[in-house]
Amino acid sequence: MPPILEAKNLTKRYGSTIALDSVDFEVEEGITGLLGPNGAGKSTAIKLFLGLLKPTSGSAEVMGRQPYNSIDIRGRLGYMPEHDCLPDSINSSEFLSHMAQVSGLPPSHARTRAADVLRHVGLDEERYRPIGEYSTGMKQRVKLAQALVHDPTIVMLDEPTAGLDPGGREEMLDLIRRTGREFGISLLLSSHLMGEVERTCDRIVVLEGGRVTQAGAVAQFTQETQTLFLEVDDNLDELMEALQKHGVQAELDGARVVVQDVTEEQYDDIRDALVDADSRLRRLAPRRGSLQDIFRGDQA
Amino acid sequence: MTTERQGEIYDLGYQRYDGPREGRGRARRALLVNGIRSALGIGRGSRAKVLPVLLFLSALGPAVVMIIIASVAGPGFEVSGHAGYYSMIATILLLFSAIIAPELLIPDRRDRVLHLYLVRPLTPTDYVAGRWSAFLIVTLAIVYSGQILLFLGLLLTASDPVEYVRENWLDIPRFLAAGLVVAVFTTTLPMAVAAFTSRRAYAAAFVIGLWVVSTSTAGILATSEQTEMRTTTAPDGTVTVEVEESGAIAGDMAKWFALLSIGDVPIRINDMIFGEEAESGFGALVEELPEIVPIGWYLILTAGPGFVLWRRYQGIAI
Repeated sequence: MPPILEAKNLTKRYGSTIALDSVDFEVEEGITGLLGPNGAGKSTAIKLFLGLLKPTSGSAEVMGRQPYNSIDIRGRLGYMPEHDCLPDSINSSEFLSHMAQVSGLPPSHARTRAADVLRHVGLDEERYRPIGEYSTGMKQRVKLAQALVHDPTIVMLDEPTAGLDPGGREEMLDLIRRTGREFGISLLLSSHLMGEVERTCDRIVVLEGGRVTQAGAVAQFTQETQTLFLEVDDNLDELMEALQKHGVQAELDGARVVVQDVTEEQYDDIRDALVDADSRLRRLAPRRGSLQDIFRGDQA
Repeated sequence: MTTERQGEIYDLGYQRYDGPREGRGRARRALLVNGIRSALGIGRGSRAKVLPVLLFLSALGPAVVMIIIASVAGPGFEVSGHAGYYSMIATILLLFSAIIAPELLIPDRRDRVLHLYLVRPLTPTDYVAGRWSAFLIVTLAIVYSGQILLFLGLLLTASDPVEYVRENWLDIPRFLAAGLVVAVFTTTLPMAVAAFTSRRAYAAAFVIGLWVVSTSTAGILATSEQTEMRTTTAPDGTVTVEVEESGAIAGDMAKWFALLSIGDVPIRINDMIFGEEAESGFGALVEELPEIVPIGWYLILTAGPGFVLWRRYQGIAI
């Protein structure tokens, strides 16, 4: 299946500053995270794919077309910016209906879509209230709704949880996951929060200093760093010796024993070491490494 | 006997849209309609409608007054009619455009809704053209409503309506053309100003200020009279002082300085369309210039701000 978004040798300069430096990456169907610290080039990449900016060289293609030149392809794109972008004085129903029309939908279809999408983001009851009266969380939902109202092929979300409290952040991430998995709309999620990307995305593209440093499936990154935690009631020192005797590299983290990069065969060795040390096992828990661990490791 | 009704409610979940997509053409139309609604306060609170409605009704006022005068005074009395209508509503139009035109541009930029427009099938040129056209349509509706009302009123009060139409039908294309001239002018300049401010009040104050300053400056430069004072002493010692006006200080330049009153420029074009001669004021001075001069000046005063407005939105930082 051809990629939805494709950066080919994409470069964007602002004067002498290079925001993106000859990057190549693809975004396929599903939820893709665009990860990187502030100033990494994430927002620039999104603006290039939206056609808001013209590449200095290379190309930013959406379904094989360049949105900077092909205006009509933009009707298939959705965008949820990081900053405020909503009018205060009109209600969300009217605003969404208008935005659907500006995306090319006829008025009657636009009104139906506006009502449907507001229901899906949980604003059905509030749709006739002026947007200025909404809470921050509700405004974020309207922002997502306007990006979905014309049923785009892909939606680009720029820091969608910015400014939300922990509860609101989880609700927004859940809504994003539903959009990707149940609605069947592909998403490109820009964030500097690795935890969000890890819990929400299928794949990631990591940008740093305008270059792609890593790209691939989230599961691929986390599987490679599988970690096992052991907690025992007694004979901790004996257990460490027994593990070493069985050839298992382990280290202590407080009262827990941590075995990094554990393999299937090592589980038998760990069992034998527990028997040899006569340690009573309280807890044995495998844990996938987080993206945070990976990048912390890279930086070390 | 009762009929048992059975029904089930299904949650269909999210439905993909497979209806028509009309692209850029629909986007442009939607922006135009939204601009007209915004200018008239439709879709907003009742307070937003008060000012447009008030100004709209005020613009109809002179037409109503002329119809009443015509009907009361009878056929012997001539009212100013279509030729003079635009100069009568010039101040109201100025207020309307200064206050309402910024409503179409400033909130989109301030609330950053502009970003959402430009990621859809619209170019910055589409956006500017859509907003400009929306306000032009509203302004045309105002100026034409008054003229149409006036035409119908004068027609109905005429002793012989058929004769009235036969003699005055040319006024229709004239007021349509003159209305377009006036509306383009009163749309473009306030919108160009609104493209650079973040508050509607600043834009309105600037436009009104520009009108006042330009008219005052033209007044001082073009119409100030030069006076000559002669003092004579009679043999009996009586001193007589004679003050004599000897024409405008600016001399021949007065007619050029009259062009500085920018609000009068479209009115002069209106007079040219109707074949009217101004009896006094800046119009009379500008009349001394070749016709191409006020026409050229009008084009500069509309195309200039129009270009500035268009340029402002090309590559606007988003």
